[in-house]
Amino acid sequence: MIRIAAVGDVHVDKDVVGRYRPALEELPDQADALLVAGDLTRHGTPEEARCFAKEFGGLAVPVVVVLGNHDHQSDQQEQVTEVLTDAGITVLEGAATVLEIRGHRLGIAGTKGFGGGFAGACASNFGEREMKDFVGTTERFATVLENALNSVECDALVALTHYAPVPETLVGEPLEIYAFLGSYQLGRAIDAAPTALALHGHAHHGSERGRTPGGVPVRNVAHPVIKQAYNVYQLLSDEVDATLATAR
Amino acid sequence: MTTDTDLEAEIQRLLTEHDRIAEQGITVQRRDHLIVLGGEVESAQRRDEICKQISTHFPDVQITCDIGITRAQAPSEVEEIS
Repeated sequence: MIRIAAVGDVHVDKDVVGRYRPALEELPDQADALLVAGDLTRHGTPEEARCFAKEFGGLAVPVVVVLGNHDHQSDQQEQVTEVLTDAGITVLEGAATVLEIRGHRLGIAGTKGFGGGFAGACASNFGEREMKDFVGTTERFATVLENALNSVECDALVALTHYAPVPETLVGEPLEIYAFLGSYQLGRAIDAAPTALALHGHAHHGSERGRTPGGVPVRNVAHPVIKQAYNVYQLLSDEVDATLATAR
Repeated sequence: MTTDTDLEAEIQRLLTEHDRIAEQGITVQRRDHLIVLGGEVESAQRRDEICKQISTHFPDVQITCDIGITRAQAPSEVEEIS
């Protein structure tokens, strides 16, 4: 059994420091790792990243994150990543990490992702340079996600993105903006690997649950959707050993 | 001049692009002569700043604020993924 906690879109700045900490201090009793699905900050400044690191760093469980669109707002994503990494937080962008948890290997592959839309209403790599750049960006993020997912050997594989890989978890958002909230190409990348669970944020008014066309469970963990500090998901339940199940 | 048709879009852009707000998750709905704001933010200061900036930029617009503060308590349940 592996338990992972997840949340996204926490948008930390000075005014939020301290809000999450009481719940985060309970994490060791609830989960083996914390995954954060982007939009860690409001404007993507190193100062805000330090606030995030203060609030979400120094926990008794590993913390793995991807950046979101807000974390790119100030064009300082490299500095933001450096602040987080220095605080012991693993930042994934087209990369994967493996956590050893009570004899199991939990693989996490992550990328921010991008928009582009879904079947029947997606952008095409055609026409103006700007449109080709837009769709080309989507394709690039999907490719790095697929490569990252297939780069690890593990017992349970989790895909972590900011943008949504399926439209089901966007239900509640205006249809007109679906193309700016996610892309079917992320879902296709997730289906191209033995993914056990896909986590994303970004869609504050979306829905919590969906599945990729290939059947992978998808969870929108945007904070306004889950309405608590984090959700906890249990993987590898079939392999549970009673003595291990109560280990935490 | 901002037309009635453009007003909701102008407010949405203000909420996203204003340095002190940067919120993309606020809904803006027109009800007769009223604009109703919905959604959730991370602090009461952020909610108050939204109302302040809309009032400053659109002084003739009457707003009702239904914006909530997202709760941040620990969960009590675990979901088994299968």
